[in-house]
Amino acid sequence: MKVEAKVGLLGFFSLVLIVVFAYLVGLISPLRDTYDLNIMYNYAGGIEEGSPVRVMGIKVGKVRSISFTPEYKLPSGEEVKLKINITVDKKAWKSIRKDSKFFINLAGVIGEKFLEVSPGTLDQEEFKSGEYVRGEDPPRIDQLISQSYGLAGKLIEILNKNEGSVTNMITQLDKLTTNFNKTLTLLDKTSKNKDMVRLLDNAVKISDDLSYLTAGLRSKKAEESYDIMHKLLFRLEPLDGPSIRKFLQSEGIKAKIF
Amino acid sequence: MTTIYRDVYSFLELVKKTVMSLFLKPLRVKETFQQLYFVANGSLWIIVFCVCFAAVVTILESSFHMKLVIQNDSMVPGFASLLILRELGAVVTALLLTSRVGAGIAAEVGSMKVTEQIDALRMLGIDPIQFLLIPRLIATTLGCMILCVVANLICIFAAMIISDQVLGYTPSMFLTAMNRFVQFRDLIFSVVKAMFFGMTIPMISCFFGFRCKSGADGVGSATTQSVVFASISIIFLDFILSYTFSYFY
Repeated sequence: MKVEAKVGLLGFFSLVLIVVFAYLVGLISPLRDTYDLNIMYNYAGGIEEGSPVRVMGIKVGKVRSISFTPEYKLPSGEEVKLKINITVDKKAWKSIRKDSKFFINLAGVIGEKFLEVSPGTLDQEEFKSGEYVRGEDPPRIDQLISQSYGLAGKLIEILNKNEGSVTNMITQLDKLTTNFNKTLTLLDKTSKNKDMVRLLDNAVKISDDLSYLTAGLRSKKAEESYDIMHKLLFRLEPLDGPSIRKFLQSEGIKAKIF
Repeated sequence: MTTIYRDVYSFLELVKKTVMSLFLKPLRVKETFQQLYFVANGSLWIIVFCVCFAAVVTILESSFHMKLVIQNDSMVPGFASLLILRELGAVVTALLLTSRVGAGIAAEVGSMKVTEQIDALRMLGIDPIQFLLIPRLIATTLGCMILCVVANLICIFAAMIISDQVLGYTPSMFLTAMNRFVQFRDLIFSVVKAMFFGMTIPMISCFFGFRCKSGADGVGSATTQSVVFASISIIFLDFILSYTFSYFY
């Protein structure tokens, strides 16, 4: 083989390796079937081109490009100024529906950013490739910190203004706690007293007996007895001395008591 | 100090003449291919062997350090690949080429200088830069770029095998971790570095070859100096290029 051919073969081999590398890093993907989506954000929380896209935690694509769209408005009229173009594999495309949510999330020991897509419900439509959709802006930690600074400042101001009453309140609370503690100690001591224990035992027994009694009073037989007694009393109510005497005489009984 | 200035000036003069010859005079194609064969095909197995072991060491050391620091080496395939692409592939290739090709060029040109063949070329009206340096410059530059690509990919492949066999990361896991850090431009930057290194090696070797003093000592000294200076230049250039490329990230 000629020298030129050998050199050419090596050069061709290196070109093949470049193509293989481009395929491995996802620059070219002739056999891959992917769909595009444009996710709109106002704050993307540090996501970068090449960051993974995950559906239910599984990597199904990547962020292809990030661009600024200062004049873009959603159909609802909301201005959204950041467009993130993502690719989604065909296998996961049907899981993404119109009610899917697009979050920016953190994972791994080094805090890698990724775009998480929540699966949609079946009754919702699928997206069309290249469609625009509003993403969920991630919380801004810097804003939260600055707001908490403001809150802390206001708290300090309130404390400074009402220093006397706050001190008084704390003193009262301290006294209340002390008293409560004393009461608890007293209760603890009382519960260990023998007489008190016996008294409590008896109270429990009385309570049990009363419960048994009242249960008996609520029985069916008892209710029938109440009815009979009630009827009897109703009938006895108009009775007086002459009537009783008359009744006893008619029965042939001599009653001297009247 | 005056000697250093004079040497630097001579080198810059050589660079200027080389650039002019490169664009103004016809290229010796056959000689260039011969040199390319010597540089690329001849150094291929040495470089593949060396970068494979460099990859093994890189991946094992990275894993050891990561386990030491955060008790987790899941990111090792990713950043070891990045390290291979950004530094190891190009620099190891260039340093190996310096010791094999650079020393060869310096010795060859030095011997020609000592045996007055270069003077003979001048007498025949042939420009030694055009005749000797340009084919070697083109061949080493192209050879270094080709070998850099091969070295990088073989190095990553070796790292993948070691990750699978020793660390327990399957090739698929390795590629996923690699994808997280590595981009195509890393390979481009690596090849650009290789191009600069490839230009540096024959320039320095020929510079010392042309200045070779008479006798066997002179040739030996020229060869040693060319390897030392070329290696230093490669390390220094690597710093400048890495620093420059960091602005693209």
